[in-house]
Amino acid sequence: MRILSATVRGFRNLQESTFEFSPRVNLVLGRNGEGKTNLLEALNYYALGRSHRGARIDDLIGFETESAFVQLEIETKPDDVMRCEFAFERGKGNRFFLDGEVVGRRADLVGILNTVYFDPESIRLVRGEPSRRRHFVDQGVSESEPIFLSHLTAFQRTLKQKNGLLRDLKRGFADYSTAREELRAWNRELAHHAVEISIGRDDYAHRLTPYADASHRALTGGDCGLEFAYRPALETVRSKLAEEVPENASNDPIPSPLSFCEKEQLERDILSEIDYIMESEIKRGRTLCGPQFDDFEVRQDELDLRVFGSQGEGRAAAISLILARSDVLHEKRRIRPVIFFDDIFSELDSQRGQRLQEMASGLHQVFIATARPGDVAGWDPPEMKTWSVHAGRFDQTESP
Amino acid sequence: MEHSRNNNGVANDGGEFQSPALERLVRSLSRLPGLGRKSATRLALHLVSESAAAEELVESTAQACEQVCHCGRCGAITEQDPCRICTSERRDPKLLCIVATPVDILPFEKAGFYRGRYFVLGGLLSPLDGVRAEDLPFGRLVERVRLDGVDEVIIALDSSVEGETTALYMQRLLQELPRDSDRDALHMTRLATGIPVGGALAYIDEVTLQRAFQFRRDF
Repeated sequence: MRILSATVRGFRNLQESTFEFSPRVNLVLGRNGEGKTNLLEALNYYALGRSHRGARIDDLIGFETESAFVQLEIETKPDDVMRCEFAFERGKGNRFFLDGEVVGRRADLVGILNTVYFDPESIRLVRGEPSRRRHFVDQGVSESEPIFLSHLTAFQRTLKQKNGLLRDLKRGFADYSTAREELRAWNRELAHHAVEISIGRDDYAHRLTPYADASHRALTGGDCGLEFAYRPALETVRSKLAEEVPENASNDPIPSPLSFCEKEQLERDILSEIDYIMESEIKRGRTLCGPQFDDFEVRQDELDLRVFGSQGEGRAAAISLILARSDVLHEKRRIRPVIFFDDIFSELDSQRGQRLQEMASGLHQVFIATARPGDVAGWDPPEMKTWSVHAGRFDQTESP
Repeated sequence: MEHSRNNNGVANDGGEFQSPALERLVRSLSRLPGLGRKSATRLALHLVSESAAAEELVESTAQACEQVCHCGRCGAITEQDPCRICTSERRDPKLLCIVATPVDILPFEKAGFYRGRYFVLGGLLSPLDGVRAEDLPFGRLVERVRLDGVDEVIIALDSSVEGETTALYMQRLLQELPRDSDRDALHMTRLATGIPVGGALAYIDEVTLQRAFQFRRDF
């Protein structure tokens, strides 16, 4: 997958311009606040259907204009070129188009343009709160298995409903006589989706580990292995994971005990676990267990990097994990995503920074934004294109 | 109140019009589902210029409001209570189709294949919208199943999270009903989900396709 060209108009501080990108390495140089990240945000917007920085639509439109428009030409496979466009109007929201036709639902955007985005925020993956790791995994599973996303969305909706009911009960707004039967019904719906979420997350952690391990060894110079493991909140799922994998259970090189368990049985077990704590949940007025509390452990040579290890080790591990996401996508769907490095080199020591540059040269297509030309000085990978940006204006230049 | 000032900046009670009555009509029309202020204005201007159409509308609205009611047994929209479906001898009382809203009856009746009766819930369980089990007529449903000697309940609800949960709730509720010893257990079924007739397989979404695959049948 590659972004061949882009036309940008009215997006944040970017001046109207058209870019012809390199199929390999694209470098954007400029001081902070000049518009590097804005360009990367515009290029990444279509992939997510929203801003990766969580910006509101009106904030994405330039100060002096009422609308914005971005057109990308992407190559999904050799010689298969598609036109992706989106437009904003102040106060009216966004609209997406594929080859000139409106894309109605945001869910339909999933899988058209696949990207992986690194910025100083995203590489807090390892030492940050568990929700970051859940989100990372859920995004990864969803891009290779769209059905997972529908289970996740349904699960979250059900959870909201159940929490609403528990809240009402605690405040005394709701009738107790039917409450337990109602909670049981919501629990059954939750358990149904929880099974699929648990299996998806565990399978993904198993697939991710070998790639993350390889990237981590390359990035840290050799000896440190990396392991990424699912740590489910549900006792039922934990004990299932601890079970031995039967021999010849599957042809998969990395089988997880969850992937060949009896789904209906697991669903029943999860349901009894959630039903069992119903009285405590009613007392506390919120849900107390389920995949919404899952976590993932990141181990470097038996050391849990979530808790131990330096900031630098945490960042390196995060980069390895995020790079591994693109490998899993390739394994599952034969897609190499477009990769963005936004101000990442400043987060690494110079040796690791250089190793990451070497790795980046071998990647499919990358966009790199940096404020410190020194971090990439002397780097001259084949087919690199360089831009310098000043107050939203981009000029193509020689490599640094 | 962006429309409440005229060009001189002086407050004007008629809104953007020079008529408070017209403004009131536009406001009440724009409160109807699916109508924005623009369409409401278009309708209002049409009504005031076509007085015959307006009178007809006023009269038919008044008549409908007076005569239309909900069937006390099934909840359908009707002019006689109990409704024609509930009283028709040609309808099988042992077959009961449960739907969320009265509108959901219409496609069944239009298709004409269904020979049983209906039960309208009037909503789906949704604590976020303040809908709890005590707000839905489950007591009446149980009574209906018992009195009519229903043999099969067909659940025809939306395939949303709320629809699924409401179905699961009813399943437990009806499962626990005591049955006469000489009768078989109550049969509960749900509508199938899958590929629409005449639909192109290539454009089906993944979830629907997976369901259709899961519930494929022998051929």
